[in-house]
Amino acid sequence: MAGVRFVGVDKRYGSVEAVRGLDLEVTDGELMVIVGPSGSGKTTALRMLAGLESITAGEVLIGDRVVNRVAPRERDVAMVFQDYALYPQMSVFDNLAFGLRRRKVPKGEIAARVQRAAELLDIGSLLERKPGQLSGGQAQRVALGRALVRQPQVFLMDEPLSNLDAKLRTQTRGEIKRLQQDVRTTTVYVTHDQVEAMTMGDRIAVMNDGVLEQVGTPEEVYERPANRFVAGFIGSPAMSFFDAAVTREDGGVRLRGEGVDVHVPERSALPASVIVGVRPEAARLWGTTTGIAGPVPGTVVYVEALGRETFVGVDVAGSRLAVYEEGRSALQPGDTVEFGLVPGALRFFAPDSGAAIS
Amino acid sequence: MTSRRELTLTYVVLGAFSLFALAPVVGIVLTALQDPDGLAAFGSFNGLHPSNFADAWRDGNFGPYLRSSVIVMVVVVAVASVLSVLAGYAFGMMRFRGSQVLFYVVLLGLMIPTEAIVVPLYYDYRDAGLTDTYWALILPQIGTSVAFGTFWMRAFFRTVPRSLVEAARIDGASSWFTLWRVVLPLARPAVLTMMLLLSMWTWNEFLLALVMVTDEGLRTAPLGLSFFQGRNQTDLTLLAAGAVIVATPIVLLYVFLQRHFIRGMLSGAVKG
Repeated sequence: MAGVRFVGVDKRYGSVEAVRGLDLEVTDGELMVIVGPSGSGKTTALRMLAGLESITAGEVLIGDRVVNRVAPRERDVAMVFQDYALYPQMSVFDNLAFGLRRRKVPKGEIAARVQRAAELLDIGSLLERKPGQLSGGQAQRVALGRALVRQPQVFLMDEPLSNLDAKLRTQTRGEIKRLQQDVRTTTVYVTHDQVEAMTMGDRIAVMNDGVLEQVGTPEEVYERPANRFVAGFIGSPAMSFFDAAVTREDGGVRLRGEGVDVHVPERSALPASVIVGVRPEAARLWGTTTGIAGPVPGTVVYVEALGRETFVGVDVAGSRLAVYEEGRSALQPGDTVEFGLVPGALRFFAPDSGAAIS
Repeated sequence: MTSRRELTLTYVVLGAFSLFALAPVVGIVLTALQDPDGLAAFGSFNGLHPSNFADAWRDGNFGPYLRSSVIVMVVVVAVASVLSVLAGYAFGMMRFRGSQVLFYVVLLGLMIPTEAIVVPLYYDYRDAGLTDTYWALILPQIGTSVAFGTFWMRAFFRTVPRSLVEAARIDGASSWFTLWRVVLPLARPAVLTMMLLLSMWTWNEFLLALVMVTDEGLRTAPLGLSFFQGRNQTDLTLLAAGAVIVATPIVLLYVFLQRHFIRGMLSGAVKG
């Protein structure tokens, strides 16, 4: 097993820069999730690690070996593809055994390893089938099994769950996480789904527009986003933002924005103008909680009831904020409502760079 | 949902077209079976006289002609198919400098008609001492067949998911192994269709055979049929029997492979 390192990696297609100056270290045995919107360069980064794309500049290392010019099959990595890429004319057994046969592993050992993987993934009864006779979830497990039997240094997973339905996705998410913890093989997992990233990653790398925006544990990335992009991308419903002018007042600050005028106690050292980031749970209906700053009046735009909790979309002079409400809500779109902000949970960003202000 | 009237209309139109296509074929077979001493008329029926085929076979010397045709066809189709699969794989699945330009050069072979090159080709082959040999029939047809075959196989390979090839690469398979064991098994309908088309075109090639060979032992079936026609202008029955003899092998091949042929024609047309 081995860690993975990207050192100043660039990828250009003609004049398009898919990845810029990527520095990322994945430690041995870690599950690193690279997350970002489409076109953020996350899949390109993974494919460079796999050897499927050339590297324009910089170095990619697996263990201590620079693999820039090493062929994919020499890198000792195994990859799970979004469309599974199972060999359609071969049985499940042959699919699993393919990589081992190419590496001249003795027959007895192949059978044993395939059997073990099949048990682990509960696909023992499918070994004689062809991929065309499998359901999506089964094909997905076979694809995982094909990577698993190889016992590679690094697992690479390119959006492996995006073709599954919601229920199966949640289930498989847990299963992949469990498997990875069992075998402790370094894993780089690419997804556009921030829920997947939050639930699976030991650490998360957030990419946008070819640039790595932040690396950290799910908690760090959620609680202390490095910039406005990360703050808005991680978390569901997303963080809401509004512009505010800052003045000092009574040992705290007063935030004045369009339709907002609140006093936040025990907060200092803010520049004169900021972008305020509000997670849904940092905005509560006025009167339900004490110690919140407000009130802020607004109009209800939507009500998203999830059963145990409800998110109320509130329009405040053109900005839209998601407000948390426990249980079911009696509010209707069009109602006027007042809410307040939880002072300690507010996040501030510089208006020009978008960088977080601590 | 198609209404009953629409369905009937569909069958009527399709039926009419089928009749239109089949009539000449049935006509020539019936003509070939007519009484050789009776009054020959195209398509009319006056009993079954299969002896006409034996007469035509003997008079027309079709044995050696068919043998030549088979030799030329088998070699051309076999060699051209292997080369086309290799070239199509490279053009369809590999990224390399100049692939676009090279592919257009290959396509030129598809666009230039034999008529345009047959005369200079004749002089080149004569200078090389290759006229009046099988090579003169085989080599130019491999050239034109590879142009089409490369085009055809490239189109197929481009429909194969890239991830399949990438998975094989990561799993440790060489390009060569990936082609023969991973991709080609999927290409069976496309390859068989290509082979069938190439067989038909090679079998029916006339001009090249006319220009390149004078030796009767090298004559191919269509050329032989043409000479046979010249000698038996008035004997409609015998001519029809000769035509049926020359057409039969390729028709049998088509019937044998038609299931794959239709699948091959459809592949790429709709996402399977």
